[in-house]
Amino acid sequence: MQKFNIWYLGSFFISVIVAIPIITVFSSFFQTTTNYFFIIEDTFLYEYIFNSIFLLIGVLIFTFIIGVGCAYIVSFYKFPGVNFFKWALILSFAVPAYIYAYSLTAFFENFGTFYSILTKIFGEGDYNSKIPKFDEMLGAIISISFSLFGYVYVLTRASFHYQSENLIELGKNLGFSKKKSFYKIILPSARPAIVAGLSLVAMETLSDFGAVSFFGVSTLTTGIYNAWVSFDDLSLANQLSFYLLIFIFGLFILENLSRKRARYHSLSKGGFKSKSIISLSGYKSFFAFFVCFFVFFVSFLFPVLQMLYWTIIFPKHINDLNIVQLIFNTLLLMFLSSCVLIVFAFISNYGNRVSRSKFLEILTTFSISGYAIPGVILAVAFISFISWFDNNLISFLNLETIKSIFIGSVFGLVVVYFVRFYSLACNGIKSGYIKINYSIDESAYLLGYSKLKTFTNIHIPYLRNSILLIGVLVAIEIIKELPITLIMRPFNFETFATTAYIYASQDLLEAAAIPSLFLIIIASFFILITSRYILRE
Amino acid sequence: MIKNFLEIKNVTFAASKKNKVNNVTLNIEKEGEIICLLGPSGIGKTTILRSIAGLEKIHSGKILLKNKIISSNEIHVEPEKRNIALSFQDNSLFPHYNVIQNIEFGAERNKKKKKDLKIDDLIKLLNLEHVKNKFPHEISSGEAQRASLARSLISKPDLLLLDEPLSNVDQSFKEEIQVKLKKILTDLKITTIIVTHDSYEAFYLGSKCGIILDGQLKQYDDPYNVYHFPNSVEVVNFLNRGILIPAKVIDEDSLESEDLGIIKGNFLKRYPKGSEVKLLLQPEDLEHDDKSNLKLEVVDRKFRGTNFIYTLKTPSDRLIPVFVHSHHIHQHEVDEKFGIRRPITIDHIVCF
Repeated sequence: MQKFNIWYLGSFFISVIVAIPIITVFSSFFQTTTNYFFIIEDTFLYEYIFNSIFLLIGVLIFTFIIGVGCAYIVSFYKFPGVNFFKWALILSFAVPAYIYAYSLTAFFENFGTFYSILTKIFGEGDYNSKIPKFDEMLGAIISISFSLFGYVYVLTRASFHYQSENLIELGKNLGFSKKKSFYKIILPSARPAIVAGLSLVAMETLSDFGAVSFFGVSTLTTGIYNAWVSFDDLSLANQLSFYLLIFIFGLFILENLSRKRARYHSLSKGGFKSKSIISLSGYKSFFAFFVCFFVFFVSFLFPVLQMLYWTIIFPKHINDLNIVQLIFNTLLLMFLSSCVLIVFAFISNYGNRVSRSKFLEILTTFSISGYAIPGVILAVAFISFISWFDNNLISFLNLETIKSIFIGSVFGLVVVYFVRFYSLACNGIKSGYIKINYSIDESAYLLGYSKLKTFTNIHIPYLRNSILLIGVLVAIEIIKELPITLIMRPFNFETFATTAYIYASQDLLEAAAIPSLFLIIIASFFILITSRYILRE
Repeated sequence: MIKNFLEIKNVTFAASKKNKVNNVTLNIEKEGEIICLLGPSGIGKTTILRSIAGLEKIHSGKILLKNKIISSNEIHVEPEKRNIALSFQDNSLFPHYNVIQNIEFGAERNKKKKKDLKIDDLIKLLNLEHVKNKFPHEISSGEAQRASLARSLISKPDLLLLDEPLSNVDQSFKEEIQVKLKKILTDLKITTIIVTHDSYEAFYLGSKCGIILDGQLKQYDDPYNVYHFPNSVEVVNFLNRGILIPAKVIDEDSLESEDLGIIKGNFLKRYPKGSEVKLLLQPEDLEHDDKSNLKLEVVDRKFRGTNFIYTLKTPSDRLIPVFVHSHHIHQHEVDEKFGIRRPITIDHIVCF
């Protein structure tokens, strides 16, 4: 087959574009920087690193317990409401960590919602000193954990779901108790899924900006943002990003090394036997129900009710918002980004498939690591690159500056979203493509179909469900996305996420409630329409 | 004027460094001819088909279809422009279309051509009526293979390549499909190359058979010759058609074996008197005779429906297979003595 064709070139250029910010970050390490770097190195750098590690460990422990626990209960047992909880638990995806942080603070703060409830029930009293405070590091860990545990839950549940009864019977055969079977067989066989879920959680935690900045926890990510906003020093921001990247890649390597060459259960048609579900009754049934309801309540209902409560008691803030404009802006970004991502991810995947080039495969793998890079870094790196390009190449050629096209424009915003979420779209399409045997393409060619016709007549109809799913997943991410939007958006261009953040950063949490609620409603809507696919995939 | 319909000239087919078939030269003279390629698994038969179809490039030699070069070092006509259909061994049906839609895909290429083959007829012929509205994952692998075959046939290709077309078809159904397949291909005059490891399938379907062994096309001849006159020890061993025993040429129509005595027949090749040769002894070459004084020990007996295959041990510990009709009144048990009719006469003596 011809290796270099239009599909190869298309795929090559897409990967290069996506890789530019990553390369910029790496190259920044060798650039000279201002004295700020030495100031930070001597003062806050170790605090940033320590806080990032502490936050990461806390969140990983929490999400592991909640995610794996819930996945186990809904996969292996039958109790009232189990079918509801199976999908209801993924609604936590609709609540970004920063909105969770607002709710947590609003509920437990002095004279907050909890105080009002106690006053209503028990009358006036000195409750403030007795109400626990979830702020700073603890608040950040809780907020991020309840917002992200869904990754571990979804992947582990899928793994448990496809676990064969044969495996469980094997445990019985070996004389294992239920507890021993769980630790020795069930949990280890779901390990790749759990690790994959925790890896996603780790990356999201390290790149979290909204929740940690709200709680005033200084991590590498907030350091990068401050380096750029406060010191106006792109090189410094990039150098800090480099540290964070090293951290993230270190995690990747650790995860890969830990798996070594172990093989885990595979889905084969012949030997697979659906596992039997155990029906619970009595206190066991109540306990299972209670655990699931508690997690569902705390992760989803709690922030929704808190935001709803404030929206109702402070309705005047709605007048400050141009809801129609906010909906329009949010939907515009979602629509543009989803379309761009799907089209380009498709071209890239098909280019890889048609050319079967090792080089292209490596380049694509490298470029999709953009997902591991926090939005703040990507945005800063993108601005760095455009500035460098403009100052060197464009001005050398005496052309008009291109900064305004890329920086502070919807176009630039979509480009950075594209880089950030490219791996989501690319991997989504790839996982669809894996299911299409290569001989199917070859059959189409042999029936006289060109590559383009094979793409349009065979692949697109086959992958339409994947396309829908990826479109919605990208949409959910973009609705919630905060740092890229904050940095890259045009002047006076707001989304629900930025509006909520701006109000919260001004200590106007009541005002942040309305955009937060809208954001959760839109995200929940998209999650609901794809829950079937999310749970299956 | 077309010299040969398909010409393969000195082509080395290679999917990888290990999987190589070197320097193949093979012609299909007339349009509508069916040839079969036989060989063990993993020898490169599929690579040959894929290269002819244009899915793999060739690095030496050239392939001509209807006098036009379709593959060479410099020229590589893309698969979609060759009008060559390949029916894969594994299920390559489009998973999101049902059987009939899949077959219709094949019909699209030849919309303008005269329709001498209708989809419905083909579905009926290949016993696919009951699954025509089902999706590939809802049908058996044998049905999928037949559907894939139907899709290839309906496209009326210049050259049809079938990779183990009946490997997943039930044994009980196989012969019926073989007969139908041969009829369709002959009626429609579709030039076909079939790859198989089933020698009986190859002998029935192909007007010529190619034996691929050790990275080479060892023999390319009509089935009768391949069966009766294998041209090398490797072909004999591959076809598992008998054993080779040492013998000495004693005359122009006879030789002598240490185990069986004098054997008479027509030599295919002349050997000087006194030559030491290896004689090919096939199971049907020896006849059973209870009254014979040449008796060998039975070491195994296999029941094969119409006949038994007895494995006999000679005094020099060689094992010789012999066919005996299963209606033969006297069955011999293991360790019993088994008589061989004398004098031993073989129609065609094949020696190496």
